[in-house]
Amino acid sequence: MKRRNFLKGVLYGTGATMAIVGGFGTFNKLDSLKAEAIGENLETTVFSSCEMCRNQCPIAVKVKDGKVVKIDGHPKDAAFGGVICARGNAGPSLLYDPQRIKKPMIRTGERGEGKFKEVSWDEAYTYISDKLYNVKDQYGGEAIALASRKGPHDWFFRSIGKALGSPNVFSHEATCPMTRSVALDTTFGNEAIAADYANTKYLISIGRNWFEGIHVAQTRAVSKALSNGAKLVVLDPRFSITASKGEWLPIKGTTDLAFVMAMANIMIQENLYDQNFISQYSEGFEKWAEEVKDKTPEWAEKETGISKDKIIQITREFAAAKPQAILDFGWRTAYTPNDYQLRRAILIVNMMIGNLEVPGGYYRTKPANFLRDFPDQVAYAKGLGNIKQPSFPMSAKGRIDGTGVKGTAGQIIPAYDGAVGKIVESILTEEPYPIRAWLVHRFNPYISLTESPRAVEAFKKLDLLVTCDVYMTDTAYFSDVVLPECTYLERYEPIFDMSGLTPKYVIRQPAVPLVYPDTKPYWQIYKELGEKMGIGDYFEFKDMEDFITQQLRPTGITIDKMKEIGVWTPPGMNAFYVRANDAKASLDNVLSNHSKKIEIFSSDVEEATKQGVPKYVSHPQPEEGKFRFVQGKVAVHTNAGTANVPILNELMPTNTLWMNPVSCTKLGLKDGDEIAISSGTYEHKGKLKMTEGIRPDTVFCYHGFGRISPELKRAFGKGINGNHLIPNEIGEVGNTVTSTTFVTVRKA
Amino acid sequence: MDKSMIAELYLSFAAVFHRPNQDVSDHIEELVDLWAEVIPEIDEAVQKLKAFCSKFPPGEQRLNALWEHYIPLFEAGAVEASPYASVYSGEKGLILGKEAFNVKQFYANCGYVMGEKSGELPDHIAVELEFCALLARNGQAESLMEFQKKHLTPFLKRILPRIKNSNRPVYSEIATILEVRQLNLQKEGDFVG
Repeated sequence: MKRRNFLKGVLYGTGATMAIVGGFGTFNKLDSLKAEAIGENLETTVFSSCEMCRNQCPIAVKVKDGKVVKIDGHPKDAAFGGVICARGNAGPSLLYDPQRIKKPMIRTGERGEGKFKEVSWDEAYTYISDKLYNVKDQYGGEAIALASRKGPHDWFFRSIGKALGSPNVFSHEATCPMTRSVALDTTFGNEAIAADYANTKYLISIGRNWFEGIHVAQTRAVSKALSNGAKLVVLDPRFSITASKGEWLPIKGTTDLAFVMAMANIMIQENLYDQNFISQYSEGFEKWAEEVKDKTPEWAEKETGISKDKIIQITREFAAAKPQAILDFGWRTAYTPNDYQLRRAILIVNMMIGNLEVPGGYYRTKPANFLRDFPDQVAYAKGLGNIKQPSFPMSAKGRIDGTGVKGTAGQIIPAYDGAVGKIVESILTEEPYPIRAWLVHRFNPYISLTESPRAVEAFKKLDLLVTCDVYMTDTAYFSDVVLPECTYLERYEPIFDMSGLTPKYVIRQPAVPLVYPDTKPYWQIYKELGEKMGIGDYFEFKDMEDFITQQLRPTGITIDKMKEIGVWTPPGMNAFYVRANDAKASLDNVLSNHSKKIEIFSSDVEEATKQGVPKYVSHPQPEEGKFRFVQGKVAVHTNAGTANVPILNELMPTNTLWMNPVSCTKLGLKDGDEIAISSGTYEHKGKLKMTEGIRPDTVFCYHGFGRISPELKRAFGKGINGNHLIPNEIGEVGNTVTSTTFVTVRKA
Repeated sequence: MDKSMIAELYLSFAAVFHRPNQDVSDHIEELVDLWAEVIPEIDEAVQKLKAFCSKFPPGEQRLNALWEHYIPLFEAGAVEASPYASVYSGEKGLILGKEAFNVKQFYANCGYVMGEKSGELPDHIAVELEFCALLARNGQAESLMEFQKKHLTPFLKRILPRIKNSNRPVYSEIATILEVRQLNLQKEGDFVG
C-alpha cells in the first residue's frame, strides 16, 4: 500500500489543513441543544428596501426557517400600498441563484477569455491597490475613472477615487435621465422636482412609460389619476403599454420639441397660459415667446406627423385643466444630442400653466432641510446627520468630459454625474488625457453605454478593470478583478432620504445572513480596500450599524426603531404644497438659483450653449428603406441588471425587433423571421416581431438583452443588444443619444 | 475495506470538489494513487489524470489550470454542473432549497455543524463527501449508510453525468471514477464500502 500522508493528515487534523474535527475544516462539533434549534420553525417579517432596480421601494420580506420565501411591498407605506413589481417579487430567485459570483476573482487568461482564479479578499485588495498606485504614479490620479449606477454605495465607492486625486467619478445618469436633471438645474436651480401624478387631471407623456419603466409609487399614482378620470395622452413612435391606457399619438421620432413649442405657441396665441404666475415667478418669458412665435400647429404638423387640429385640441385641453395638468418631463435616456432643450421646453410649458407647488402639478421634494425654512413645517424637519470625512486632495487636472468648464456645455453638466460615455473615448483616444484604470460598481458599460463593441475595445486597453457586482456581467467578464457583492437582502445600508411631499427615511437591513459567506456588502468592500490602500481615514466608522447610528443621531430616531418600522415619515404631517392655499406664496425656498426665478431664459445655458431659451433643431428622418432604431424598458426587467435573474429570465428570456406590417411587407419579412439589423458600422442578429404598434419608419427593441458573458448562462447570446448598433455619441450636456440611429433590416 | 480507507476515499473526492487550493492541487498524485488502488476498471480515467499531473507539475500553474475549469463548472456564472443538491431537487434550480436544510439537520443529528468560516453551503458536493469521510472515520456506519441513501446517492446521480459530460480535464475523469465507485457500492449492496 502506498503512503497517503496528505489524506491521513487532513482526515485526522494533523496536516497543513488542520481542523477542529478533521477534514477540511468544514465542520465543528455541535452540542445537542443546538441540534434541536436548527430544526425550529421560525417565521419573521423584515422591513427593508428593494434593489431590483434603483428605486429602493420599501419592502416586507417574509423569512421562514431562515430563508426568504416572499417579498411584499411595505404595508404601511401609502405611496406603495403594500405592493411591489414583478422584479421586486423576483428578489429571492436572485438571492438563491447558483450563478451568482461567490468569491473574489483575478483574471488568469487573456482579457475576455474568461479565465479566472479565486483569491482571498486580501489578495484581491492587494492586487487592486498595487495596480491603482502604479497607474497613479505613472499617469496621475486622474487616469483612474470610476463609474457606478447612482445609489447609496456612491459615498463609499467614490471615496476611493477621490482619495487618489481622480476627478473622473461618474454616475450612470448620462445613460438615463440626465438631460432632465440639466433642465431642472438650469430652470429651477435644483433637480429635486417631482410630479404629483396622483392628483393630476391631464397627463401628457413624451415617451415616458410608467407601466413598463416601473416606479411603483409613480405607476400607482398614474393609475389613481386615470381611475379618477384623468386624461392621458402619449406621444411615442411605439404603442407602449402606457400608450394603451390613453390616447396614442405616434409622433415622428426626435420631433417632440416641435410638439412642445407648438403647444407654447397656441397657448400664447389663444391666451391660455397663466400670465400672473409667469410674471410673478419667472424671467425670460418674452424671449421664449419670440422663439415660439413661428412654431405654429401647421408647422408642427409637418415636423411631427400629428395633425394641427390634434395639437390644438391637446393644448386646449391641457390648458383647461390648469394647474392640475402635467406635461411629463420624462425619465429616460436622451433621444437627441440636444435633448436637454426638449426637457427645458417641457418645463417651460408646464410653468405656463402655473402648475408648480400645487396638487396635481410639479413640486419641490420636501426633505427636512427644506422644511426648516417654513415656520409651520419646521417641527417635522428632522434631518439626517453626515458622517465626517477628511477633505479630499485636489485633482491635478480637470475632468475628461469638461464638466464645470465655464463657457462650454460642460458648465451645465451635473458634476456628480458627468458624461460617463466619455470614459470609453478617453481610454481609446487618450483625449484630453488617457484613462488607464476603471473601477465599475453595479454598472455594466457593455450594455448600458452605446456602441458596445467600442466599450470592449476600451476594456482591452486598460491596465486595470475592476467590477463589483453580484453576477459575472459582460463587463466583469473582461475585468482583471471581480468582487462579489452580496445582495440587498443580505446587507445593511445607509438610511436613505426618499422624501416626497413629506420627509421619508427608509432603511435597508439584512433579511437573512450571507448566503454565500465570502460575499460582502459594498460598504465593507470599499472600507477594507481603502484601509489596504492606506486611505482608511476616509472610512471612519466601525460598521454599517455604527454608520446608521451616526446618521440618525440628529433625528432622535433610533436604529432599532428604524429596523422595526422600515420606513419613517413625520407623524401627523400632511402632504405639503407651498402654493396649495396661497397662489401667490413665495417660491424663494423652492428655487435654488441666484435669480430666485423660474429661468425660462437661463443665462447659464446661454453662456454654456448660446441657447438661453430652447431652440428647435430639426433632426434627420430616415430615408426610404431605413428605420429609426429606438429602445425602451420592459416591466419585468431592469435595464442591464436582471436579464440573468432566474424568474425574470423565465418570464422574458429574450427580445425581438418590432416592425410595422407595412414595412415587413415591403421587405418581404414576416413575424418570427430571423433577421440581421445593420447600422452600417455594426450588425446584430435577432428575431422579428410584426406589429401595428409602431410607426412604419421606426423599429424598436427592449433594452438589456444580447449578453456576451457566457457566465450569464440564462441570458447569454439571447436577443438584441440595441446599444451594439448605436454610436457612442456624446450629447451636448454629456448625455447618451439613443434615437438618432438609422438601420436597415434584412432576413438573416 | 477498513473504515480509515473508506474515510480517505470519501475525503479524496471531497478534496477535489472543494474549491481548488494549493495543498490539494499539489497532492493530486496521491489521490490518483488511492483511486487506482481501490477502484477497479478506471484505467482510462487514471491515465488521463496522470497525464494532467505530468503536464502540470505541482505548483501555481497546476492550481491555475484547476481554476480554469472549476469556475465555469461549479462556481461563477454559467455553472455547468451546479455543486448544490438543492438545485436538482425541485425548487426551480435555486440554492438553499429544502435539501440544504435536510442535510444540515442530518449533520446536526450526527453531532456536526458547519463552521461559520467554512464558506460553503450545506448541500455542496464537497461538503457532503467530507461529511461522509468524518462518519466513516468515526465508525458511524449506520448514519453513513442512511446519508448515502437519502442524500448523497440521489445527488450524485444528478450531478456526476453533468460533470462527466462537461469534458473538463480532471473533473470529468474524477466524476467518472466516483461514478464507478458508486456503481460498485450499489452492486455490493454495501453503502459504506
